[in-house]
Amino acid sequence: MDIGPIWRAMLKNKAGFVLIALQIAVTMTIMVNAFAIMQERANNVSRESGIDEANTFALVSVSFDEYDSEKMKVLIDEDLALIRGLPGVRNAVATNSFPLRQGGWSMALQLVPGTQTADAVGSAVYFVDEHGVDTFASNVIDGKNFTPEQVTWKPLDDNTWPAYGIITEALGKELFPGEQGSYVGKSFYINENDPVNIVGVVERLQAPWEGWSGVERSMLVPQRRSSEFQRYVIRAEPGYRDELMPQIEEMLANSNKDRLIRDVTTMDEVRKLAYLGDTAMIKILAFVVGMLTVITGLGIVGLASFNVSRRTRQIGIRRALGATKPAIVRYFMVENFIVSSVGLIIGGILSVALNIAMVEAFSLEPLAWYVIPIAMIALWTVGQAAVAGPARKASSISPAIATRSS
Amino acid sequence: MLKMNKVSKTYRTDTVETHALREFSLTVDEGEFVSVTGPSGSGKTTFLNIAGMLEELTSGSYELDGRDISKLNDKDRSKVRNEKIGFIFQSFNLIPELDIFDNVDVPLRYRGFDASERSRRIEASLEMVGLASRMKHYPAQLSGGQQQRVAIARALAGEPRFLLADEPTGNLDTHMADSVLDLLTEINESGTTIIMVTHELSLADRAKRNIFVRDGQVSDGPPEMQFASAANG
Repeated sequence: MDIGPIWRAMLKNKAGFVLIALQIAVTMTIMVNAFAIMQERANNVSRESGIDEANTFALVSVSFDEYDSEKMKVLIDEDLALIRGLPGVRNAVATNSFPLRQGGWSMALQLVPGTQTADAVGSAVYFVDEHGVDTFASNVIDGKNFTPEQVTWKPLDDNTWPAYGIITEALGKELFPGEQGSYVGKSFYINENDPVNIVGVVERLQAPWEGWSGVERSMLVPQRRSSEFQRYVIRAEPGYRDELMPQIEEMLANSNKDRLIRDVTTMDEVRKLAYLGDTAMIKILAFVVGMLTVITGLGIVGLASFNVSRRTRQIGIRRALGATKPAIVRYFMVENFIVSSVGLIIGGILSVALNIAMVEAFSLEPLAWYVIPIAMIALWTVGQAAVAGPARKASSISPAIATRSS
Repeated sequence: MLKMNKVSKTYRTDTVETHALREFSLTVDEGEFVSVTGPSGSGKTTFLNIAGMLEELTSGSYELDGRDISKLNDKDRSKVRNEKIGFIFQSFNLIPELDIFDNVDVPLRYRGFDASERSRRIEASLEMVGLASRMKHYPAQLSGGQQQRVAIARALAGEPRFLLADEPTGNLDTHMADSVLDLLTEINESGTTIIMVTHELSLADRAKRNIFVRDGQVSDGPPEMQFASAANG
């Protein structure tokens, strides 16, 4: 390797190389931190909500008949019986919300009764019956599902809470930090003073708010609400969802003319809408990083082309003195490797510094250890690819140029 | 040693065909100091380019050390150039960004010598041209004569069989030119074959044999050239 003389020659002609090294450094800094943001967003987008999204859809029934609590209970039971009785329906539940919906109910949970304490833990609350666990595809990893006897109707003007709950594992870890063993049988308080006994633990069921830091904390309560506004979540057998959606919409609309069926939505659409901001951010950052990389590549091509033109005679002299064509290509490749290395070392330091600042300012995840080496390899590759054309052009310069008058 | 037989070199553009060498034949034996003179455009530089394998010939044959080199590929031509031929150019052709040590080092690196061998050769060749104390100087810090001495050191460091000199004193004043020619004579006396292209008949007199080129062919040359040849011969 001719690194020594190439490095010394570069020091004699610093300006262009310094500018390109700085451009590489800035590109790397932006690339690495943009990648960190993109990775965080991508991780968010790829998180599982816990429900069987591919086969689940939801719809809303809004009754405009005069409100009668008992009539509503009958209507809800009839609706659910009709839905559950359809071929292709695995299960269905009337609930207040579901993961990724962006709207729902949350409560502060605490281990001691009384006025809400600072260490109270926030949790999403889903009102369900004994079909809730299966409809939400939640895997009960400890304890058991609600029994029909545990399920109650919640009057609209009543603020009492049922005595049972099924929590997510993440909620258990937050409620009982450091405690080993089963959460089943433990108790906590909701609504400051209402005790809840944990009957089951599910592996995962996200809260409706995908951007919430406690998105993995949610609980199911065995309670149904007899309001005129009902949200049904339906889990179809695999392959039946699209067929069932219009069928159930029509069936419910025909079964009771005094209501409106709307917001018939698949979970795929709900997810897409929930992560619209994240996916847009990923695309924008990818575009910016792509453009920066292209601009850096073009800068390297420009500098290398300029150097080839400026050093045409020198290249001819080197050829006359015995340099083969590959040796000339190698010269420019090594030169670019050195410039890139300087830029990437500076870029590596700047990347870490910027990431520390961003972690502190925006609570981002710190950079994964492998991001910087990957970015270095990527930019080294871009640099080598960018310089390859001008280097090949340089190698085609005739050694006879050495004997021409300067 | 060096044998060109009916070598022709033609440059072609879309509209013009220029015959730079026409059936040029020449034999140079080991240890000779041959000058090649001729008017501008006569083909001297083309001859030098062909001899130094800087260009390919159009037709004819060229043997160097008994090897037909007209059919070699670029890699082998580069290797032969590097190992057997040392070049001295009119405008010195030192690389301005490199110091004297690194300039002399350029062909040695292409040769693949290790660092200690390169260092030994560089120091010895710079010692020979009297510039061992200037190793860390850059070309711009030296006079024209000193730069040409560095170029000679670079040409000699690889211990080539041939030295091809293209107007080696063309950019030097008389005093420096004499000093460079003295050095070339000394090198030739130590056994290196030298072919020197020049348009100055007075310099050609320093060679042991003179070749006059006209219209791309070896010619009898002007009367003064014949006289000079006879006097040297």
